[in-house]
Amino acid sequence: MTTATLTRANPLTGGRRRDGIASAVFAGLLWLCLALICVFLFFMLAVIVQKGVARLDLNLITKQPSKIRPETAGVQSALLGTLWVGGITALIAMPLGIAAAVYLEEYANPAKWWNRAIELNIQNLAAVPAVIYGILTLGFIVRGPVSIGAVVMAGGVALALLILPVIIITTREALRSVPREIRDGSLALGATQWQTTWRQVLPAAVPGIATGSILAMSRAIGEAAPLILVGATTFVTFNPDGVLSKYTTLPVQIYNLVPQDRQAFRDLAYAAILLLIVVLLAMNAVAIWLRNRYQRRW
Amino acid sequence: MTNVEPDLATVPETVGAAGAPHQIHVELGDRGNHRVPAGEPDGVIELANLEVFYDKFLAVSGVDMLFGSKEITALIGPSGCGKSTVLRCLNRMNDLVPGAHVFGDVRFHGVDMYGPGVDVIEVRRRIGMVFQKPNPFPKSIYDNVAYGPRVTGMKTDNMDDVVEQALHGAALWDEVKDKLKQSAFGLSGGQQQRLCIARTIATSPEVILMDEPCSALDPIATAKIEDLMVDLAKTYTIIIVTHNMQQAARVSHRTAFFTAAADEHGQRTGRLVEFDNTGKIFGNPADQRTEAYITGRFG
Repeated sequence: MTTATLTRANPLTGGRRRDGIASAVFAGLLWLCLALICVFLFFMLAVIVQKGVARLDLNLITKQPSKIRPETAGVQSALLGTLWVGGITALIAMPLGIAAAVYLEEYANPAKWWNRAIELNIQNLAAVPAVIYGILTLGFIVRGPVSIGAVVMAGGVALALLILPVIIITTREALRSVPREIRDGSLALGATQWQTTWRQVLPAAVPGIATGSILAMSRAIGEAAPLILVGATTFVTFNPDGVLSKYTTLPVQIYNLVPQDRQAFRDLAYAAILLLIVVLLAMNAVAIWLRNRYQRRW
Repeated sequence: MTNVEPDLATVPETVGAAGAPHQIHVELGDRGNHRVPAGEPDGVIELANLEVFYDKFLAVSGVDMLFGSKEITALIGPSGCGKSTVLRCLNRMNDLVPGAHVFGDVRFHGVDMYGPGVDVIEVRRRIGMVFQKPNPFPKSIYDNVAYGPRVTGMKTDNMDDVVEQALHGAALWDEVKDKLKQSAFGLSGGQQQRLCIARTIATSPEVILMDEPCSALDPIATAKIEDLMVDLAKTYTIIIVTHNMQQAARVSHRTAFFTAAADEHGQRTGRLVEFDNTGKIFGNPADQRTEAYITGRFG
């Protein structure tokens, strides 16, 4: 008996060769995909840096655009326009989006058909092209019933509409990841649902909400299409001074600079792209910082 | 009478529903609970013909019970017998389950707990609950304990005193007094569960419901919680659901045995089989099913 057991093939390695090859092939494929993405990203960044770094100087953020002297011109009005429009977008989209998500996740009865219908619609809205939100804002805010014209506020509204579905969806994910036990524990102590939501669920979900919102904001800041529709002007040599001011933004400015025939305009465009990347990286850094800061409290 | 603490490391802690098919030797009152109440208890909560539905599914039916003041009542039975459902009716936590409906009488000091005008918040403040898995809030130890008094708007002269009293009450003060401002997540599982008990007693409830409070804990932590339960029973009425029959035997004054019976459609509905003094249930049960369960032949 003993010898029979000993002469048998090693039961721990037998019959698994094919599995080993399959998983090696699969891992290789995954690695290849990752490498492809990295090469693509690196190439893009390298080109932008190489072409834009020469004009990445103080003039870029201290000077206004110029049609005559692109060599020393800047994009100050566009940078400030981006910050203004981004601020308005955040002020509109974040409270609305978070409140809607709290209602859907904590209060709405999922058994009711209208709540399910709203949910389905929000998911669809997240996939609607940005231009459509631009058309909507053009028809209702810039002209039509509100008619405030092509100003910062209109741009903010267009971008807020664009990212609302994303904020709602990511906030709901963040709320859903708060364990049921936290809610039960709070309610069992005699807290109301409002207290439970406000004092337990929302603070616990802050890292997720902040990350999702800032990533959505990053998307908004990089958008050009809806803003072109709602009339972000391509050539603005003054800074926006309020929500009813004319404006331009970095993506719109870049869109305007790239097709110009003088090389100096295109160099300026590359520098503006770098500047936009810096703004986006800064926002992502804030998202990471917020997430870590609030997670440390746990 | 002096109590000799059993050597806990040698006491098997997890003989539950799937226990070995042999007679379990249960030492009654290991935790110093020798007071076996005589006659009808002084009732705090009374159940009459309790029925709980989850949508159309009848989960529990025909439960009549009287929970005695400052007693420990244990609810035991196999999985799915409805004992946790019954427990969650007692502070209306079942309200949070979509589709749950409670019929019959649930009376707290004679007042219908499900009647019109009853404030659920007040019910839960008077009847606290400790859960199976320790669920401290992602806050400091201090804020965990102060949370209940704060949200219920309790009039307190000094919150520090309330927190200290509650932590003393849960036998946790000495372990955490120097780190009240630290996160509750830094505590061990047993400490977290005692923190949850402290959190519950901070709102000065009259009844504490415990839903398998030791099932996620090791034997040492379990022993501490059991000692604590016996202590708490001097002040509070305790109702505990447990899968650990020795725990029921060690700490409780009265024990209720539930089981589930299938109807003609194969739906299993939980029923109360026997409810008596713990000594009687574990020593000389009246019902065959109870005996089969506690001796490990069924369940």
